[in-house]
Amino acid sequence: MTLDNNSLNDFLFSRFKNGDELAFEHIFKSKFNQIIGFCDQFISDHDDAKNITQEAFINLWLNRNKIEKPSGINSFLYTFAKSNCLNFIRHQAVEEKYTDHALHEKEQLLNAEVLESFDFNSLEFIELEELIQKSISNLPEKCREVFIKKRFEGKMNKEIAEDLGINIKSVEANMTRAIKALKKNLSEYLPAILVQLIVQYLN
Amino acid sequence: MYRYLAQEASEAEIKALFEWIDESAENRKTFIRYKQAWALTSSSQDDSEVLWKSLNKKDSFSKKTRILTLSVQKYAAVAIVIFALGLFVEYLIQKESSDSVYFSQTEIEVPPGQMSKVTLPDGTAVHLNSGSKLFYNADFSSGKRLVKLEGEAFFDVYSDKKHPFIVHTPGDISLKVYGTSFNIQAYPKEGEINTTLVEGSLGVFDQAGNELSLLIPGQNAQYIKSENKIVLSDVNTGLFTSWKEGLVTFRDESLQNIALKIERWYNVEIIFENTELKEDLYNGTILKNKPIDQILEVFKLTSSLEYRIEYRTDQPTLIYWK
Repeated sequence: MTLDNNSLNDFLFSRFKNGDELAFEHIFKSKFNQIIGFCDQFISDHDDAKNITQEAFINLWLNRNKIEKPSGINSFLYTFAKSNCLNFIRHQAVEEKYTDHALHEKEQLLNAEVLESFDFNSLEFIELEELIQKSISNLPEKCREVFIKKRFEGKMNKEIAEDLGINIKSVEANMTRAIKALKKNLSEYLPAILVQLIVQYLN
Repeated sequence: MYRYLAQEASEAEIKALFEWIDESAENRKTFIRYKQAWALTSSSQDDSEVLWKSLNKKDSFSKKTRILTLSVQKYAAVAIVIFALGLFVEYLIQKESSDSVYFSQTEIEVPPGQMSKVTLPDGTAVHLNSGSKLFYNADFSSGKRLVKLEGEAFFDVYSDKKHPFIVHTPGDISLKVYGTSFNIQAYPKEGEINTTLVEGSLGVFDQAGNELSLLIPGQNAQYIKSENKIVLSDVNTGLFTSWKEGLVTFRDESLQNIALKIERWYNVEIIFENTELKEDLYNGTILKNKPIDQILEVFKLTSSLEYRIEYRTDQPTLIYWK
């Protein structure tokens, strides 16, 4: 029997609710780096971002009875990360990245504002998150590999070519294909500026 | 904007961006949407396997880990000493560099007659034999997998191809592995160091970092300190690793030597009524953590050594062998 993505998710979710550690491990491994990546955008020390993320997962496990549906896992994790990042920004003295103190202050304020603007319980968020993940997973295999290496692993075209054993020209060609596909999938939903942003960086 | 989000922007560019954000509510809203989208699509590159293991250690979120913690506590003899205290106080006084706190070192000491099992921050399992010490720095988990061993230990190294696992010994040699299991005997007072590879591969290095030899599974490397040389041999690895299951295997060992060990493990005194017995050689395996009378019973059954026990108040128990 093969399971499609949705019923697999439901299956995992019910195992998780019943206290199955393997299911939790699976959820942990598939989402951990995303949550760290999220925290990294607001907190400059990677170890602090990791600690917040670990706390988020520990609390997710302890509060599993309160989570009602599969999408609730993401909402819980991001909400936890959001409020802890906010606390961190407000109460922890952090090392300043810039020589200009005013710039640092301004950045902290903006970070707090961005964090506060998230509503992780809204339908919009749940759908957006799913859509981005789905769009990436729907890319043709080579495209997806190139895209992930570039966007999530921060690699240069030359490194990607070496990793995948293809030439730079075909790395570039695959990036173009990935961008086109994402633009099409995402633009049905996302505001044009966001698509533009994601795509711009990839170029 | 995307240079800022990708953390590639210069300070001047960031300043210009922030000024632009302040120009209008519209600009501000645009920035917030951009940053939101960026944060939601970001991902770090941490090894989820390592993180999962560290989560398991960090919080006793499951029964399984609680039991583990308890059994570790049972080996109450394991003393963990933080050398860092002095350094940390110094740090508080000077408060010059926020980095100095990372010099702290953890020491795990197992007294004679005891054994212990510990899991290091990277997921590596270490069985420590009697009278052994293991040291590692607080920055161990951040890619630097370096420990110092005095005594005997069996390592089951968590596989990480990017970060070698290095063991320093008191005999001026180091061992470097990636993901493997091996045993080391490196007691400071003994004239040699033995390392036995069970699986994987293992390099033996001198202080200058030169590779002296590379072991394959089933090989033992004996480093003789006084001659500064290494002898490789094929061995039955079970002989070298069975101690961690509480088994002690003797191979052609004199009864006199065995008596010395038993004296150390059980705090007893052994007297040979027939001194010729001392040079007799014994082969066999015993379970170290059984009561002394059962051990003596095993010797009786396997090599017809008769024994007599004499309990004394305020003094070690006397055992007569004949």
